[in-house]
Amino acid sequence: MTRINLNVNGQAVSHEVENRTLLIELLREGLGLTGSHVGCDSSQCGCCTVLVDDQTVKACTMLAVQADGSKVSTIESMGTPGNLHPIQQAFVECHGLQCGYCTPGMIMSTAALLAEHPNPTDAQIEHALEGNLCRCTGYVNIVASVRQAAAEINKTR
Amino acid sequence: MNAETNYGRFGSGHSVQRIEDPTLVTGKGVFVDDVSVPGQLYLCFLRSPYPHARIVSIDAAAALAMPGVVSVVTGADLTAAGVKAFPNAAGFKRPGGEPHASPPRLCLADGTARFVGEAVAAIVAKSRDEAYAARDAVMVDYEELPMVVATDAAIEPGAALVWPQATGNVCNETLYGNVAACDAAFAAAAHVVTLDLVNQRLVANPMEPRAVLAVPDAQTGRLTMRMSTQMPSGARATLCDAILGIPQDKVRVVVGDVGGGFGMKTGLYPEDAVVAWCALKLGQPVKWTADRSDEFLATTHGRDLLSKASLALDAQGKVLGFRVSSHANVGAYATPTGVAIQLLIGPWVTTSIYDIPVIDFRLRAVLTNTAPTGAYRGAGRPEAIYIIERLMDAAARRLGIDQADLRRRNMIRPDQMPFKNPMGQTYDTGAFEKMTTQAVELADWKGFDARLAESKARGKLRGRGIASFLEWTSGNAFEERVTVKVAGDGYIEIFTSTQAMGQGIATCYAQLAVDTFGVPIDKVRIIQGDTDRGVGFGSAGSRSLFTAGSAVEVAAKKTVDLATQLAGDALEVAPSDIEYREGSFNIVGTDRSIGLFDLAARQPEQQVFIDSTTKVDGPSWPNGCHICEVEVDPETGEVEVSAYASVNDVGRVVNPMIVIGQLDGGAIQGIGQALCEEVVYDRDSGQLVTGSLSDYALPRVDMVRSFKTRLDQSVPCKTNPLGVKGVGELGTIGATPAVVNAVVDAVWRHGSPEAALAMQMPLTAEKVWQALVAKR
Repeated sequence: MTRINLNVNGQAVSHEVENRTLLIELLREGLGLTGSHVGCDSSQCGCCTVLVDDQTVKACTMLAVQADGSKVSTIESMGTPGNLHPIQQAFVECHGLQCGYCTPGMIMSTAALLAEHPNPTDAQIEHALEGNLCRCTGYVNIVASVRQAAAEINKTR
Repeated sequence: MNAETNYGRFGSGHSVQRIEDPTLVTGKGVFVDDVSVPGQLYLCFLRSPYPHARIVSIDAAAALAMPGVVSVVTGADLTAAGVKAFPNAAGFKRPGGEPHASPPRLCLADGTARFVGEAVAAIVAKSRDEAYAARDAVMVDYEELPMVVATDAAIEPGAALVWPQATGNVCNETLYGNVAACDAAFAAAAHVVTLDLVNQRLVANPMEPRAVLAVPDAQTGRLTMRMSTQMPSGARATLCDAILGIPQDKVRVVVGDVGGGFGMKTGLYPEDAVVAWCALKLGQPVKWTADRSDEFLATTHGRDLLSKASLALDAQGKVLGFRVSSHANVGAYATPTGVAIQLLIGPWVTTSIYDIPVIDFRLRAVLTNTAPTGAYRGAGRPEAIYIIERLMDAAARRLGIDQADLRRRNMIRPDQMPFKNPMGQTYDTGAFEKMTTQAVELADWKGFDARLAESKARGKLRGRGIASFLEWTSGNAFEERVTVKVAGDGYIEIFTSTQAMGQGIATCYAQLAVDTFGVPIDKVRIIQGDTDRGVGFGSAGSRSLFTAGSAVEVAAKKTVDLATQLAGDALEVAPSDIEYREGSFNIVGTDRSIGLFDLAARQPEQQVFIDSTTKVDGPSWPNGCHICEVEVDPETGEVEVSAYASVNDVGRVVNPMIVIGQLDGGAIQGIGQALCEEVVYDRDSGQLVTGSLSDYALPRVDMVRSFKTRLDQSVPCKTNPLGVKGVGELGTIGATPAVVNAVVDAVWRHGSPEAALAMQMPLTAEKVWQALVAKR
């Protein structure tokens, strides 16, 4: 077991982990942050996407010990049901989700995109989301959600 | 009523934001794997590495000695404990009237494993890692047996047999129509077009894998199964009645959020029963969460049909007869659903929206050493519609008639409704030509030549495809029970045993409740997924809104009627003097009133309660016309969907945003079948080649840039009081032939007509390139 120290959603966390423990396992099982989901075993689906030091990471592909000393942000760091983040609000308004299983990963990928490109082109949106699979929506409404979120965030900038 | 109330904009007909969403977008949804209980054990499955093998012995001693390991369970253990096989597809017949034949599907293979991935043993340990580690230490001695995985090979004389009683690997057969009359129609035809068509095997792949948490209660002796399922009641019934032989009231199935179903989560899986049995046997909670590999190997797969199909036409393009002979690969175990989809449900729409006087239909279900097939979005109907729409496309090319015109010449007219098709199914409504005419306009059919020239100028090929079609919905279950409780605490709670799985059905029910009660939508709570609250068929076959939605509306009206009586008592006037409006009962012509929730609070149980069962009169027949344009790169064969337009007869619409979401989301699954998805088993080894999301190509964000989707509400369904039609599968059914026909068109125009007509899905760049270089 190895003790790691990291910042998760603004909170200092110190946790004992096995070397083989994946970051997603630490988040879901160790810390009870079940908003990030596991949809595959080959780093293809993106349901577990979180931000590590502001970069998108598929948390099934990173060992927890690799996140030692890092800042980790999950869907739980965004809004709450009563006070949605503009990205979450845009997904609701644009019908950018159906079953909601991929959605936290989509939203975290969007957050990283908009931090880097406040006015993303459609090509940049597609590039940012190409690692996130959705089986329900057909994606068109997801792309629309990202566009709307960008516009909303820029209004208040 | 809704138009007059303050809350009408939350009623039916409006694109109300989904009540499900605030929870889901914040990661607060509760999927099975999100739930853990103290002391839970973890289970994983050891699966057969061989497509067909005798299990000589299983040695679990080394695994049992490993840290944390609690139990290793084999098929022999389950058989010895009296655990039974899954129900078979009794009622179907083999050729010549012999009984249906398929091996018994056990929870864990006992004696023989019949496909790669069939579960052979279950390992239970204190942690997931310990269970996985111990799995590698279970020693199974296999003796390989002759195997066959491909349909064409399975029906060859002398092929390896999956099950000896199923000679020729045919487990059952269905015949419809009139062979002699059809032969006569073909003999008299001016034109005959024939195609060999492949509906390749698919995996549903909802993003949430299956998961089960089984928690026994020592005090009550009951077992609570938390599952990701579309059919909680059906799963419980199969588990208790057929598999374990225990009373149904000993098991409660609870469903939280379901991360997509698409038909694949209907019914019970062998794994579910093993988890339940282990929890009961060990007296401890047991959790199993499938990984994606489990899902590729051992969920029921969809489609998988080889067909030879022909149309006989007169000189003007009127279809005189339709002949189709198919072989459906149903895998190693013919499941009742998998068989019914191919032998009943698909055939019911085989003539689609066309007035075809005579048919000759034969379908044989074939056993192979592959995963069993079952429901996947569309379930039989995509296969049937694909066949007739590819034939219509080929016929139009043969006769030189415009694609839309040839279809129009054969459509059933509205004045022929109700229309009984050659399979004995009756369409209640349908204005098929109207949908096609609108779709042709929406897609700017006439402007195609200009777009073709524009594509050509950029060095691209362009093609256009059309598919007109209809669908049967209902799951063949027409009755639905709901309860409505108006609580004195100030909310309305509605329970139905249909099941949310991402389709937004709770929002639709809440909108219907707003229509009747005239209260804010946040006063309405929709409860689903708990067999202790009620049982019913569940959600499958695009049935929820038109069965349970109808039941919600009927029950809501009954509730207002009952409450009006109670208001009369409370206000000491005749109920006929009372008018209900927006949550308040008013004495007409006075200012005296009582609020709905105040009235409920005054009742002995502080509620007004209705338990109501409603039956609709039959299936719904949604239909539409989808038109796709593609661009093809002549250098690489890569296909890009350039335009997609559809007009859909969906009856009355409760929530347009949700319906369009269902159509577009369904369409991309259909496009996935057309262009990229395919389950591949290696013919020589029987191994599953496409066993991960790295190998099986799902549509990604860049597949379609926009959908032009129009809803036509002018033809309400006549079989249910709401007038709604099922929409969950419509997009999937229309998209596949529309896209394939568009690629066929591009290749045809390029100068490869034979290769164009011979193309088979998925139309990967390589296949399209091969067709292009076959240019004459």
